[in-house]
Amino acid sequence: MANQTNTTANLADDLPLHAEDERKIDLVRHCGLLLIACAIGLIANWVGTGTSPLVALPGMAVLYVACIIGLGFARFVPFYLPSVAWVSLIAILITIPGVPGAAWVSEQVEHLNFLALATPALAYGGLALTASEFAIARRSGWKIVIVAICVMIGTYMGSVVVADLFLRLGQ
Amino acid sequence: MTGKPGAATGGLYLHILVLAIVIVCELIGIQRLSIGLGTVIFLPILYAFALGILLNPAIFKASAKFLSKDAVKLSGAMITVAIMPFIAKFGTTVGPQISKIIEAGPALVLQEIGNLGTILIAFPVAVFLLKMGREAVGATYSIDREPNLALIADKYGLNSPEGAGAMGVYATGTLIGTFVFAIMPPLVHGLGIFDVRALAMSCGVGSGSMLAACTGGLVAVVPDQKDIILALAAASNILTYATGLYVGMFVALPLTEWLYNKARPSERKTA
Repeated sequence: MANQTNTTANLADDLPLHAEDERKIDLVRHCGLLLIACAIGLIANWVGTGTSPLVALPGMAVLYVACIIGLGFARFVPFYLPSVAWVSLIAILITIPGVPGAAWVSEQVEHLNFLALATPALAYGGLALTASEFAIARRSGWKIVIVAICVMIGTYMGSVVVADLFLRLGQ
Repeated sequence: MTGKPGAATGGLYLHILVLAIVIVCELIGIQRLSIGLGTVIFLPILYAFALGILLNPAIFKASAKFLSKDAVKLSGAMITVAIMPFIAKFGTTVGPQISKIIEAGPALVLQEIGNLGTILIAFPVAVFLLKMGREAVGATYSIDREPNLALIADKYGLNSPEGAGAMGVYATGTLIGTFVFAIMPPLVHGLGIFDVRALAMSCGVGSGSMLAACTGGLVAVVPDQKDIILALAAASNILTYATGLYVGMFVALPLTEWLYNKARPSERKTA
């Protein structure tokens, strides 16, 4: 058993544990990678919804800038908040009614289907899995699979029940 | 010049392969399968992930010829980059709905506590039904995405039973999480018990792909509520980003530890 956990820990070396450290990200490199991601996103949106990339381009440009600013904040702001949180906050801010340009931004991003934008990330995700991750999943065995499914159902249903309760109370 | 591709060309092949996968998956589009109670929804993100795994060099040996180790590493970096435009688009759905979000505010904040439901369901299954040891603590205290895994690594080390449990759920969640979160919400909606807003705001569990799957499934069965579904899911996901680590650190993990010690008092001394 001790041996087994030792090997499992070795397998963990290439798990994305250190993805959290966004203080050291290379902003210039990310600008380039993000450009590739946005281009693929535009094509996904085109194929999925029939919206021409030219029509969707202004909306995508806005999202691109929001992402870069979010990455910059995560990099330079002295307290820690993940870049995805910054990106979300910026995106919310620029679409709140009354904020200058909010109506234009909302109109432009409407040309982009949210689900199509997630497709490239999942394709990268499937290709990025390492032999170690497959090995951990295999070694953990069927018990972990059952527990993992219970974890997901529990996390989701726990929230659903609490949310539903308080929505009812609020009415 | 022959043989292993250089870093630049390896990267190029990776992006071209992803583009090809994306085009195929978007062409297939959303598919529905009606079963008794509700509808099972299949989303392009599911096909994309499945195709990615099938073509993964660790699974499909021929891929290794043009996808080097560096390309696989780059693919890992690209996940966090490629999910950003999606997260940004998600954020833009919140602004226009801000008054409705504030209206649902108490439910939105308190449902974060509902994430502890994992302990309620998964902990007894792991400890009493499957007779797992201390792996159960790491496995069931949270949904075990990256920040939760980091917390376990920090507290117990991954070279520990708790670490093995957390990593097992992490790896399994990575493999089947998108699938579970695409299938479950439309079926729960089919029960007709819960407010669709409750189903939407529970989608934010701190994982971009689970969020996409969950909202994608819900929007497919309740298309006329699309705007509010996206906005509430986005808002709850941001809350989870902000609070998830702290709820795990100060509530979920101590609670799971305490439950484990109650359930297995005999192990207490050695622990």
